[in-house]
Amino acid sequence: MMNDNSPIVLVVDDELQIRRFLRTGFELNGFVVHEATTGAEAIRSATLQPMDAILVDLGLPDMDGAEVVERIRSWSTVPIIVLSVRAAEAEKVRLLELGADDYVVKPFGMAELLARVRGLLRRQMRAVSGEPTVRVGPLTIDLAARAVLLNDRRLALTPKEYRLLQVLAQHVGNVVTHQHLLKEVWGSVHVHDTHYLRIFVRKLRQKIEPDPDSPRILVTELGVGYRLAQPADGEAGWAATAVEKTTP
Amino acid sequence: MFQRPKFPGLRRELRAVLITLCLVAAITAILYLLILTTGLEHGSAAYLVPVLIAAMRWGMVSAVVAAVCGVLASAFFFYPPLYSFRISDPQEVLNLILFVVVAIAVSQLATQLRRQLELARRREIDLRDLYDFSRRLAGAFDVAEIHAAIEEHLAAVLQRDVILYAGGRGAGQRKNAPVPQAVFDEVKKCAAGRWRAGTDGVITTDENETWLVRAVSPKNAEFGVVAINLGFASPASIEEFKIRTEAVLADAAATLERLDVANAIGEARMRAQAEQLREALIESVSHELRTPLASILGAATVLSEAPALQSEVKLRALVQDVRDEAERLNNDIQNLLDATRISSEGVKPRAEWTEPADIIHSALDRCRVRLADRRVRLDIPPNLPLIHVDPVLVRQALVQIIDNAAKYSHTGSCIVISARAGNGHLTMNVSDEGAGLTEDEQARMWDRFERGERHAALTGGSGLGLWIANAFIAANGGVIRAASAGADCGTTMTIELPVTQATVAQSEGDDDE
Repeated sequence: MMNDNSPIVLVVDDELQIRRFLRTGFELNGFVVHEATTGAEAIRSATLQPMDAILVDLGLPDMDGAEVVERIRSWSTVPIIVLSVRAAEAEKVRLLELGADDYVVKPFGMAELLARVRGLLRRQMRAVSGEPTVRVGPLTIDLAARAVLLNDRRLALTPKEYRLLQVLAQHVGNVVTHQHLLKEVWGSVHVHDTHYLRIFVRKLRQKIEPDPDSPRILVTELGVGYRLAQPADGEAGWAATAVEKTTP
Repeated sequence: MFQRPKFPGLRRELRAVLITLCLVAAITAILYLLILTTGLEHGSAAYLVPVLIAAMRWGMVSAVVAAVCGVLASAFFFYPPLYSFRISDPQEVLNLILFVVVAIAVSQLATQLRRQLELARRREIDLRDLYDFSRRLAGAFDVAEIHAAIEEHLAAVLQRDVILYAGGRGAGQRKNAPVPQAVFDEVKKCAAGRWRAGTDGVITTDENETWLVRAVSPKNAEFGVVAINLGFASPASIEEFKIRTEAVLADAAATLERLDVANAIGEARMRAQAEQLREALIESVSHELRTPLASILGAATVLSEAPALQSEVKLRALVQDVRDEAERLNNDIQNLLDATRISSEGVKPRAEWTEPADIIHSALDRCRVRLADRRVRLDIPPNLPLIHVDPVLVRQALVQIIDNAAKYSHTGSCIVISARAGNGHLTMNVSDEGAGLTEDEQARMWDRFERGERHAALTGGSGLGLWIANAFIAANGGVIRAASAGADCGTTMTIELPVTQATVAQSEGDDDE
């Protein structure tokens, strides 16, 4: 199953049992797994060999996981997912702002984690190849032509609606915080005006969701932000077997 | 510099005398007019009016001035020979002397009355200050609050800028200007108990400000050290202020002793430590229990997807059991943590504008496994108003309620989740066709750890769920209600949340259309 093109993930966690199931789970799905038990070791590994994704536990023996994120992010764009038993929304927002691409709250299911990692890998690949289209179920966003199609029918979006969708599409599969969206679309003065965002998301859903009352494409992460499709499931989603169906 | 403090008093006195003179002049003019028009002979008694007014309002000096001027004016204007201070009739002289005696007696009485009134008013203010002070002490949650109360009390009584240094508080606390280093050094000396040996605690800074540094109580270091800014002050007024400060501090120290503040400070400190310990314990329990759970669940999900197990139906069912039970355990831990947090520190909502439908979808997502064999019907009208709540807390409450609906209803039965807006409220309703509630059960259902006998027989649980849901919704300004026609008639649970208008703000976001 493994070959030279196998994606490499670095698992940073001090718990042997966690590393063991992650290794097995990833290897079964064609990944190569490297392990680190401390923050220092993680940073060293990341500099020695290019990784395709890094999973960091927040409670490391030598330093806070957040510090690992910050330090790796200072020189690398490698996708980072934070694993944590701390579930406070403010904490998640802080980590995302520090440069983590996503977070998964422990306990989590392998399917959910795989979906997040694959989403990040796809994004990374798109960035490398310059692929300008993002597909989410029946929705196609052509970032080069600034066009949005639902079931191949072109949608008329206002400039702000398109900008909102564009920011989300650039992070497809990953959560984007309210603050980030507000800053990108309305400017830094409005980073706390979440009601702008709610009203625009409501309008946008009317246009891009096949069933706006049960959003499947533009998904809310309560207290944190929005996510363009992918895990139909929240963070408690170890039962998320259907996750992969929503993305191409 | 020395005259400065005297100035205001002198000016006030001068002003009083001037007004008194005006009053005397006015009375003279009126009397003069009356004499001209009505043939009235003279009315020296009328001069008692300015005397009384002056005595009541400004004190003896003005009153005596009023009396003397009254006599002079009478002599000048009304007693023959007119327009001269001489008086020809000895009877009139006697009258005027009597007038002066009466005036002075009356003004003395009036001044005394005034002093007593002022004293009573001052006492009332002091009493009110003291009452406020003791009430604040009684309600103080921690040491910092007690120290703040002491500081404000002293500032109110001394009418000066007071800074209290105690237990790490006070440094750099002055709003307008920093506390001079010399004062700060003296405070440190004083706090260390060395102040008696050295200076007398009076410090004059380069800017000619005088500061007084004193320990609140020589017996108890816990009460802290005060630095009082006297501003520009003469040596005499410093001495006077020192005596007053000593008196106020002695009073305050006695009050603090009487109110057992030392004990209160100790207790507050212990409470804070206990709270920290509990926090640490919760944090650690959360971590210690969840980490192995994460391994169990993670491993189970890997196993269930493993190629080797795909043909083993029975083994896969076992793995599924491991997953489900671990999930349940995780929920129970979460409930226990939530319950501990609620009772130890209360719920602190982080409110933001929220789409009500988002909360419902997110809650449904969380309950998906449990709802797998129920028919779920959603009834959410479009364009519900946004609500300003903590979405995570409301979702957790809704999850508890949906979870209960699933727990106490039969496989295959229907659960309806609906939302409605109106009358300034938004309601989310969860109706099931399950065990229902009797009146007695409805009365007890909100208690912590309460589980109805019929309900306990149906399935396991801690009885914490509804109690937590209730606390979370209450923290968001809402209420939860339960309605049921009786046993086995199903239950409708309703979460009602306030809707505050954000229409103005909402339209602002539309500027690109």
